[in-house]
Order: sequence, then structure tokens, then C-alpha cells
Amino acid sequence: MDSVATVPLSERPEWSDVVPLTQDDGPNPVVPIAYKEDFRETMDYFRAIYNADERSPRALRLTEEALRLNSGNYTVWHFRRLVLEELEHDLYEEMNFIESIAEDNSKNYQLWHHRRWVADKLGPEVAGKELDFTRRVLSLDAKHYHAWSHRQWALQALGGWENELDYCHELLEADVFNNSAWNQRYYVITRSPFLGGLEAMRESEVSYTVKAILANPGNESSWRYLKALYKDGTKSWISDPSVSSVCLKVLSRTDCFHGFALSTLLDLLCDGLRPTNEHRDSVKALAGEEPETNLANLVCTVLCRVDPIRANYWAWRKSKITVAI
Amino acid sequence: MSETVVHGEAIEWSEEEEEDSDDSEEEYTSPSQPLSSANFDKDRHLVYLQMMYELLPYHYQSQEINRLTLAHFIICGLHFLGATDRVDKDEVANWVLSFQAFPSNRASLKKGEFYGFYGSRSSQFPIDENGDLTHNNSHLASTYCALAILKVTGHDLATIDSESLLLSMKNLQQDDGSFMPIHTGGETDLRFVYCAAAISEMLGDWSGMDKEKAKNYILNCQSYDGGFGLIPGSESHGGGTYCAIASLRLMGFIGVDLLSNDSSSSILDPSLLLNWSLQRQASDGGFQGRTNKQSDTCYAFWIGAVLKLIGGDAFIDKVALRQFLLSCQSKYGGFSKFPGALPDLYHSYYGYTAFSLLEEPELSPLCPELGLPLLTSLGICKGGGGNHQKS
Ligand SMILES: [Zn+2]
Repeated sequence: MDSVATVPLSERPEWSDVVPLTQDDGPNPVVPIAYKEDFRETMDYFRAIYNADERSPRALRLTEEALRLNSGNYTVWHFRRLVLEELEHDLYEEMNFIESIAEDNSKNYQLWHHRRWVADKLGPEVAGKELDFTRRVLSLDAKHYHAWSHRQWALQALGGWENELDYCHELLEADVFNNSAWNQRYYVITRSPFLGGLEAMRESEVSYTVKAILANPGNESSWRYLKALYKDGTKSWISDPSVSSVCLKVLSRTDCFHGFALSTLLDLLCDGLRPTNEHRDSVKALAGEEPETNLANLVCTVLCRVDPIRANYWAWRKSKITVAI
Repeated sequence: MSETVVHGEAIEWSEEEEEDSDDSEEEYTSPSQPLSSANFDKDRHLVYLQMMYELLPYHYQSQEINRLTLAHFIICGLHFLGATDRVDKDEVANWVLSFQAFPSNRASLKKGEFYGFYGSRSSQFPIDENGDLTHNNSHLASTYCALAILKVTGHDLATIDSESLLLSMKNLQQDDGSFMPIHTGGETDLRFVYCAAAISEMLGDWSGMDKEKAKNYILNCQSYDGGFGLIPGSESHGGGTYCAIASLRLMGFIGVDLLSNDSSSSILDPSLLLNWSLQRQASDGGFQGRTNKQSDTCYAFWIGAVLKLIGGDAFIDKVALRQFLLSCQSKYGGFSKFPGALPDLYHSYYGYTAFSLLEEPELSPLCPELGLPLLTSLGICKGGGGNHQKS
């Protein structure tokens, strides 16, 4: 807490002319909150200033005190914006203020909305600043949803795409299970004005992803990303040998989880992949004595065993198989 | 739970991981009790909710602006436990109604403001000498919560002025189909599309939103893995996916037959959505909100309800899920986010809705698309699921 806030507002000369506007909770308040005295007092002074629409430097300071007590209060943030505009306050200073609030709690929508409002006013010259700020937040929590949303907005609205694929790589090096970084990677390859889109990126991305899969075959994120690389329909994933070969490589290993390789193979078969003997053999090796002639059925049977929490689902998938292979 | 927790807003899924301060221990003085139990402990949940109903501990002051939401969790929670007789329904209804904002005349509806319900008393001020609101801070999430409380306390929604509410709600819808939560500005995302749809459903009137535009926005939020992010391009998320699917259901664009229909005729990719949703059940039995994240009580509802709405709930491993939820049941009553953490109202409420999805006999049945108790006599979820006609 700010040191200034330790002196009650009612004892500060600066505020002696203001009558706090107490909150009228009525005779029968439902779910009353046991407010602490400093909270009640700060909000009562805020109400007085807000109601009088006093857009002054002290009003700006008061919103800061109120936000330190409840940073999710959108009314306080809104009034702060009115004051900032009226005072033509330095918006770079405002960015520092936001960062200091974010140090206490960066998980609220209002803070990020405010940040966007400021960055939008400052325009492309703060693109780098926004990327730095979100990078700092993501260094503490690499899956911070608000920070990622803000970063995507900043890239679209202000620019700064040049190193974004490298940044995704950096995060995936640190934690290849970080699904937010995979999502960002997809965002970059499909939207960056410098990369030429999914079709242009497919080959290199497939090889990147296959490496990641072989290093961690139990990582759902990389398997999902692999499938997404064929989403534009310009190349079918059943005709690309890389996909079925990564399944085979994983299935031939005995030291890893086979669920995602099997479910990918099942999707390929359902989408029309003509299985080879190698496919059959690798699944049969896992199936043991199961008497099943249809390969897709057999894959489901194995999935029921290796992924028991979803056994009902794999049994249902089996019942839906229409391909006779 | 620390003061930084912002889990309070109904449709505000923040995923704090730093909330493990134990300074609220003092608030709950309860005789020592076994740490976890084998059953849903209704009596303790009643004690917890009633205690919260009487006085919320000061930790909730940081969520003051969402007081109607906190009230919604408590009062609708009590309804799930079959205990709404513990509250004075008229008193509650009058209190909720006191948060509704009205235009001074019909002309002011065109000024771009939204006339719904305020989130709390702190942002509400007396009407000025011209009969105008000095500050109109009506919020879509608060409006959803207000109507929800009114519904479960048996208040006839036909008696409230829904015309100004719905007409002015149009002011919040953006060109891309999304909604702002408040006319003074705010982030637009799927949460508020959902609020608008749920409000329209509860009021039985869809004139306040452009369904076609809303649908297109929702479909733009479906990610490459089959789930939905909160905004287009963002990572698939349990809360976003719930808002997407529940809204499409409420608007009548999808029905319970989503999975049995031919995929190619569907507006979204139902098989990928089903696969993504089921994959969120982790090895500890709980549901995670995103791929490779920790299981968390509330996603048992957000994802569980999606599965229920698309007809895939039979594939949930219900025994494992129940075990996980019981490990999050607090000895003080209520549910925590993670096993062994302190309970909070948000996770308690979604713990009750999750147990209701699991058809726990001690809980009222759930209306999954509204996230509320099933109230057939009051017109919520007639015939078990909103309006299904394709429009
Ligand atoms: Zn949660």
C-alpha cells in the first residue's frame, strides 16, 4: 500500500473541503460486505469527487488510491480516463502507473482495457513498449490470458510482428507444453504480414512440430497444432507422409504415451487414409490378441485401454466408423 | 484467498494462481473437522452460504463493484441446495430491483446508454433535479445476475420494464457482433454476447440483439483445436467455449442433436469441439480450462455444461470427476479452485452447478445454458432446454 494512504483522507488538509458521499445501502441490505475503514472512506471520497465530476490532479490521485483497493472497479477506471483527458495528462506516465498496478494484480480485465485505451491513443510508436510489457508479464506467467490478448491486439493494431515467431520459439523452448505459445504461433503464421500465410509456412512448421512431437509424444498441444497446419484445405493431411510417419514413429516406441498418435491415426483413417502394412503392424503390436480386422476399429480398441478416462468416447467413435479398412 | 482475487464477476474467468495467502483463515473459525469427505456435504454448504449471505468477509470488498454477482452466487447457490426459504424473497427482490436504471424518457434511449442493472451501490447516485441519472453504470453481467436472482426468488419478470432494457441493450452490440459490457466502454468478448443472450432468453424477447451478427462473432472465436477463445484468435478456453455454445443454443442455432447431425451441415465443427472438450478431463478426474493446465473446480461446470449441451456428457468419467470435486470441497463448506485451497463463492457456486450436472440427488437440477437452477414452473428451460427452433 502507498505510504500516503496510511493517513486517512479525512485528516489530509488537501481534502478538507470535500464532504464524503456515503454509500446508501438502504434499510435491508442483502449480502452486506464487512468493508474495512480505509476502503469505505476512500470509496466515499471517490463518490463525492465522481458525483461532482471534479476532473483535477487530486481526483487523479484519488482514483489511484481507489484502484489500489479494488482494481476491478470499472467505474473508477472510467472516471480516471475522463480525468486524464481533461488534464491532458502524460500518457507515458500513465503506462508506468498501469504497470505498478499490474505488479499487485494483473489478472483483471479492466486494467488491460485501460492499457489498450492508452496504447491506442499513443499509436504505433508504443508497439515495442506493449510487446515489452506483455513479455515481462508473460515471463512471470507464460499462460496469462489477458497478456496474450493484449499482445495480439498490439500486433494487429500497432505492429511489431518481425520477431514474434522467434518469441514463440523461445517460449516453447522454455516449456513445450505451453499451449498459449502454440496458439500464438498459429496466430503469427496465419496473420503476420511478413510470413506469407499458412500455405507458405506449412513445410517448415510441420518439421518444427514433428520434432516437438517426437521429443514429447504425450504433449496434446503439438499434436493439435500439427492438425491445424492443414486447416486451410490447400493440402490434405492424409496425403502428407509426414503426418502418418510421425504417428508410426511414436507407435513404434515403447517408452511413451501412445494416445495422441493413435487418435491422430484414427482421424487420418476416418478422413480416408489408405493404411499400409506398416500401419497395421504397428497398431497390432500394441493390440495384442484383439481379434479385429478393421484397423480403425482396432485403433479405438487400443485407445479405450491407453486412455481409459475417455473409454466411453473411444467406444462411441468405434461405433461411428464407416470406413471399411 | 487474497485480496487480489478477481474471480467474482460471474462471467469473469480469471485464473489466478497466486491466491494462496492464508490470511482469511481467521474468518472461518470452525471446529476441527476431517479434511475431505466421501460425499457432497450439503449441511456444511448451507452453513457456508448462509454465513456469506449474512455478511461477506472483508476480502470481498475488492469485488464490491460486482456485489450483485456475489449475491447471485449465494442466492442461486441456496436454491441449488433447496434452501431459498432461508432468505426473505421479497426483501431480496426489492433490493435487486433497486439497482435497475431507467431512462428519464424514451428519447434518452437513443443517446447510446444502456439501461440495465448496476453492479453495486457504490456506483449508484441519486437522480438529479431533471429526473436524470447523474451516472448510469448499468452493466450486462450485473443485469444477467439481477434477472437470475429475480427468477429464482420467484419474481415475475413480466413486471419489470424490459422494453427500455432491451432497446438500450442494442447500443452495446458492436459491428462485429460482440457486446461491450457497459456503454462507457469496456472489453468486448464472448462473455457479454452470452450475457445478452441469457438476458434475452430470461425476458423472452430477442429484440435487443442481432442474433445473426452475434452468431458470426461466436464462430470467429472457434480455434484450430475445436474450442473457443474469448475473442477471435485467442486460445481455446473453457469459459469462452461455454459462452459460445450456450449462446448458440439460447439463440436457437444449435440443438441437442448437434453430434448426431452430419458434420458438414453444421455451422461449427462439432466433432473437433467434442474431442477438445473431452480432452479437458485430466488424469486427476477434474477439468482444466485450457490444454496442459491444472484442473480447477469451475471448469467441471463450464466444460461439463458444454458437453451436456452438445449431447456428449455421457462420455465424461463421472466417477473420477466426482472424486476431484470432493477433493476441492472445503471442510468449512463451499468449494475451492484447487484441492486443499480455501473456498470462495465463485468456485462454490460452480461446484454446486457441477454436482447438479452429475445429478447429485441433494441438488436441484440445472439449466445448463443459463447456468441456473432449472425452474420449469417459472419458464426457465421449458422442456429442458430453451428455444431450439432454427431461426
Ligand atoms: Zn476456476
